[in-house]
Amino acid sequence: MKVDRRSFLGLGLGAVAGIAVSPVGLKLTDDSSIWTQNWPWTPVPVDGEVTYESSVCSLCPGSCGISVRKIDDRPVKIEGLADYPVNDGGVCLHGIAGLQYLYDPARIKSPLKKNGDKFEEISWDDAIAIVADKLADIRKKGSPEKLACIADKEQGSVSGLFKRLLKTFGSPNFYTMPSLESYLEVTAAAMHGEGKTIAFDLENSDFILSFGAGIIEGWGSPVNCFKANASRKERHAKLYQIEPRLSNTAANADKWIPIKPGTQADLALGLCAVILKNNLFDSNATANFKGGFHKLAAILQKNYALSKTAEITGVKAVDIEKLAILFAKAKMPVAVFGHGRGDGAQSLKELAAVHTLNCLVGNINKKGGTFVLPKNEYLEFPDESMDSIADAGFAKSKTGRYVNQLIEKVNASSQPAIEALFVYNTNPCYSLHDPKSVKQAFGKIPFVVSFSSFLDETAKEADIILPSHTFLERLEDVPSCAGLAKSVVGLTKPVIEPVFNTKNPGDAVILIAKALEGSIAQSFEWEIYDECLENITSGIWDSLSEDGHVVISDGPGESTAVNVSFLADNPVTIQAQGDYELTLIPIDNMRLINAGTTASPFAIKTVSDRVLKGSDIVIEMNPLTAKGLKDKGFAILTTPMGNARVMINLNEGMMPGVIGMVEGLGHTLNTKNMSNKYVSNKGVNINDLIGPVIESGSGLDAAFGIKAKISKA
Amino acid sequence: MKQENNKAHKFGMVIDLDKCTGCGSCMVSCMSENNVPFKEDESNKKDSITWMRVYKLTNGKSFPDTEIVYLPRPCQHCGGKGDHGHSPCISVCPATATDYGYDTGIVSQIYTRCFGCRYCMGACPYHARYFNWWDPKWPEGMEKYLSPNVSPRMRGVVEKCSFCYHRYQAARDTAYYEGRDDIEEHEYQTACTTACPAGAIVFGDLNNPFHKVHQIVKPDPHPDTRNKHVIGKSRNPKVFRLLERLGTNPKIYYLSEREWVRKQGDNYLDGEWDEIKNHHGSSSHG
Amino acid sequence: MDSALIPKGAKRCSFPKFTIGIAIVSAVLLWGVYAMFLCWFKGLNQTNMNDYYGFALWIWADLAVIAVGGGAFFTGLLRYILKVDELKNIINFAVIIGFICYSSALLILAIDIGQPLRGWFIFWHANVHSMLTEVAFCLSAYFAVLTIEFIPNILENRQVNKVPFFHHLAHNMHGVMAVFAATGAFLSFFHQGSLGGVAGVLFGRPFAVREGLLIWPWTFFLFTWSAAAFGPCFTLLITKITEVITGKKLVKDNVVYLLAKISGWMIITYITAKIIDTIYWAMVTAPSLGFTLSHFYTDNSFYGYWILVTEIIICGVVPGLILIMKSTRENPTLRIIAFVLGTIGICLNRWVMVLQIMAVPVMSFDTWALYIPSWQEVATTILPVAYGIILIAIAYRYLPVFPQEKELNR
Repeated sequence: MKVDRRSFLGLGLGAVAGIAVSPVGLKLTDDSSIWTQNWPWTPVPVDGEVTYESSVCSLCPGSCGISVRKIDDRPVKIEGLADYPVNDGGVCLHGIAGLQYLYDPARIKSPLKKNGDKFEEISWDDAIAIVADKLADIRKKGSPEKLACIADKEQGSVSGLFKRLLKTFGSPNFYTMPSLESYLEVTAAAMHGEGKTIAFDLENSDFILSFGAGIIEGWGSPVNCFKANASRKERHAKLYQIEPRLSNTAANADKWIPIKPGTQADLALGLCAVILKNNLFDSNATANFKGGFHKLAAILQKNYALSKTAEITGVKAVDIEKLAILFAKAKMPVAVFGHGRGDGAQSLKELAAVHTLNCLVGNINKKGGTFVLPKNEYLEFPDESMDSIADAGFAKSKTGRYVNQLIEKVNASSQPAIEALFVYNTNPCYSLHDPKSVKQAFGKIPFVVSFSSFLDETAKEADIILPSHTFLERLEDVPSCAGLAKSVVGLTKPVIEPVFNTKNPGDAVILIAKALEGSIAQSFEWEIYDECLENITSGIWDSLSEDGHVVISDGPGESTAVNVSFLADNPVTIQAQGDYELTLIPIDNMRLINAGTTASPFAIKTVSDRVLKGSDIVIEMNPLTAKGLKDKGFAILTTPMGNARVMINLNEGMMPGVIGMVEGLGHTLNTKNMSNKYVSNKGVNINDLIGPVIESGSGLDAAFGIKAKISKA
Repeated sequence: MKQENNKAHKFGMVIDLDKCTGCGSCMVSCMSENNVPFKEDESNKKDSITWMRVYKLTNGKSFPDTEIVYLPRPCQHCGGKGDHGHSPCISVCPATATDYGYDTGIVSQIYTRCFGCRYCMGACPYHARYFNWWDPKWPEGMEKYLSPNVSPRMRGVVEKCSFCYHRYQAARDTAYYEGRDDIEEHEYQTACTTACPAGAIVFGDLNNPFHKVHQIVKPDPHPDTRNKHVIGKSRNPKVFRLLERLGTNPKIYYLSEREWVRKQGDNYLDGEWDEIKNHHGSSSHG
Repeated sequence: MDSALIPKGAKRCSFPKFTIGIAIVSAVLLWGVYAMFLCWFKGLNQTNMNDYYGFALWIWADLAVIAVGGGAFFTGLLRYILKVDELKNIINFAVIIGFICYSSALLILAIDIGQPLRGWFIFWHANVHSMLTEVAFCLSAYFAVLTIEFIPNILENRQVNKVPFFHHLAHNMHGVMAVFAATGAFLSFFHQGSLGGVAGVLFGRPFAVREGLLIWPWTFFLFTWSAAAFGPCFTLLITKITEVITGKKLVKDNVVYLLAKISGWMIITYITAKIIDTIYWAMVTAPSLGFTLSHFYTDNSFYGYWILVTEIIICGVVPGLILIMKSTRENPTLRIIAFVLGTIGICLNRWVMVLQIMAVPVMSFDTWALYIPSWQEVATTILPVAYGIILIAIAYRYLPVFPQEKELNR
């Protein structure tokens, strides 16, 4: 057949028409729509049997009970555990987002050894051997005290094991990071004696006077505080909030009393003065005062007269007087210290001044007041076996009183003041003031071992990383230790098989101890950590393992003496460092975390664009302070420690002259191989801009904020 | 009374703004429950998927008289004018991809039917609807935490709060299995409600006088005397709805002791507020 | 080279010159096509749209081209139904412009939706309450009508017309064109209207919402009326531009005057209705929802009262007046100014009814949302313009679009 143009055209048109009327088109259209509903790159979660497992969250000291919903062996949702004595079903955003930590891109997937500026994966056996060899060397040199450890907290079995390892090794150098827990203990030690802590009965108080404590911003045991605060409405309890910024707590309070930054101690003492002057104190309570009550009273009348206090604090004299009377006349008043989350810098002067208010009105160990309790001692470790090296080393005094002094000593000495350092569950290279100097100190310590789960700022400085299970993968006792009126010990349980080649930090410590042999190994007779935990909690293990928690004490302790000698010595108020005109203060935001772990991608997602915009941090200042700087414009913030480019948020809730910057941003969780871009490289770490200021007498870093100036970018 | 119980459900919520702390638990609980994705930069709130979004309101006064309050905003599950189920979004969707559950009062969204025209988003004055501008992506391994109860959405479709409809289904299934006709109040609670550490959110059936939400809201079943489109106005003087005057008839109610907060719930001409603030539904049906 | 295809007796530029011109415009077209594929394959994150601006530049462009393409249905209505015979001299061109506008509108919609492969759900799962459903049905149907209206003109090509079948087909189609013109006018009335309805029914958006007649808000009628009024303006404007580019007179003045006069009266009646609508909305509708007029035009850096004045007075009343008065209408400069203003006015109206609606905050604590389109959006919006230029150029070169061309260029 000859194919001419006409027949070709005809054929072509025919074919087109044929296909058009055939079902091919319809079928393809339908198929394409089905395909778009099942794109292979959009995950399809596998279904399975639903179960719930109870555990305890240990992301923060709050220690809330959680219920983990699982589909077969996959946890898919974390919720609050109903009837748990701390949080009764409530839960905070970080706990809910806990599953994101399991699969965090910055998680350390196996033990790592630093080689140059890179990390190499090594086996657990090799890692433990390297650590044990290094420690054995230090011991051989006869200076076991040069092994130090920085942990997040004092209490709990894992900290206990670290302390035990150090002691049997021969070192007293166990440190914890500043936290509300440590401040409670420092205050209790100064005013009521060693081995005690303080708790606040917020849920029963009818008048909470908060000196900047972020009751609904992560202070204490956050969910417990949320509940106590929410119940105020029904209980008709009042909350007065004293701080320079209209925080969420201040906004939610019955009254916000703006105060010049760093003068809360002075206001507290001024209130004490009014109470004393007007005879509004509880004379039964003051009978228990020792250490120079009359001397203190005289100092207060002299230095903290109404007009003087008003001048120092910026609070009107009439308001101070009214407030003092209101507080003293309340049925169950309680004064609460701790700026924001309560783990930032604090002076003992302020802690003691605020707590003296409690003591004066006689609310100690009364319902709705403050409880002075013995430290939560539920662990029964068997006696250590100590060899002579251990005895000699352990008897030496600590290199520094607190972490800050340790860092200072290490940086100051030309010979290594510390030969080896363990860092567990904390991130000092991020969360201490002036992290640059912390990193410098870490650089001077020949051997740093991190037990972190994530490649955070501190882990990056380590020579060896022995990665820990996250709280969802391990068994651990979790004592509540955040000023909670009840002493509760919870049990964190593994809800999933370990996702990576990590270990329970307790197991890592036991392995190291065993590798060190001798008396050290003898002191760690347990095969595994789980056995150890059952053994050392034997007194409460049955109910702990069965109920998931044990309430150790629930209510006030016994009456106690009050030592006011620290204040009676008339300590000076710590001034912010520098000569600039403005003061930079940290802001604690519930949606961010400023110590330990980094906020999750979900939590970062909830952060307002008036806090973080792109990778720019947003600072708050009163329009009166702005002087030509525009809202959403950029500026350079300078402090004596450095400067940063910041975005401006003009906020009427800031006291003029004060600049607020959020804590918990500016993380750098990225190396060549790993990065968590969802939470990393966002904003500025405020600690870079603030240097430590040590309070004489207490030795605490008391730098609440720093002087600053701001100029156009 | 009995008859009222047999009526269709009308699930709704009342949020106590005096208790809300702005902590963000509801937002994260929602994200985790409903497989909401996240991306590197979520600071552009105009393309950040947050079925539950918490707004910060201020009274606009200068230091030190400033006050702030947080206002959580899930989908308002509007009943539309006269509460007939023609919510602003449902009536405009060309492909019936969003629909009104007359038995629940819940505004649904069918992801696999939505073809992404975004008309519903333009129609919603609450900005409760979100578009998947990107493919949802989870870091390697993280997809293991996804819940099978809610399918992850594909790029190019609109999504929004469903009042955790899958929880309603689960509760109903349990009731059916146990031979009960209906579910108990506590059996069906949204993820934000159960997560709120301050207990600021109360969820339940607005039609059921035994439910707490009904007792707080006291919804007026009759049309508002001032605006015939408005049904279910609260007879509690401290309770308000967002943009009630538009006649959208949302099922999210807000509670606040503070007048300035209640005033920000809607728009008022000069002088109108003083007149309106004391008008709380018909008193005759109390 | 291609002289065999060029209508008999018509003078056209040389083929190389034509090719170069087309090539330049094609480059722009390809840029747009590239952007279009980016949007399809990478998704709408390529745009600067966001959850506040679900409707943005594209939907404006869509509404604008449909509005200015309204010249086709209205001229068709006048020519075939109302038998205004002179308009036969411009009807072909009006149809081509309409065809370009409507095909562009469909293309834009295909790019704009998040799931283009499911776009047909609008027909399959149609929601009869949705104005957009009405738009989709009428738009598709009217596009088919426009295609049918365009075909006879294509068949008149010198070579195609040699085939007896096509010759007869063209002839017979002309005969029944009134039926299609009537269908087109009917469809067009509805979809222009329903596009207006898209905004008017948004009772959650006080800036957009209007009261109305039965299910149709006033914007429904205003959109239809305005498309009919300003569409011919655009047809005449493009005709003028084509005349300038080709350097030839293509349509006799009396035809232009007639259509301009009709357009002028349509504009005047429309703008009167629009002013009444605006006043009623500003004085009654919006205040009943708690909004004052100032809420919509202050407190932001772009949308001021200027946009209202520009749309209604400068680009509405002014061109209307110019075109209804003989002296000004027949003044070539003023007439062109009127066409330009009219075209801007209708486009501005569509802008306001799409983008300003999205920009205005409704919740008292919400803020204005402003938006700047991404280059991908701009490129895909220019794409139809380039496509239109190419199609007009080809049609003009090879088809007898202007019946009066030969007579006027002897």
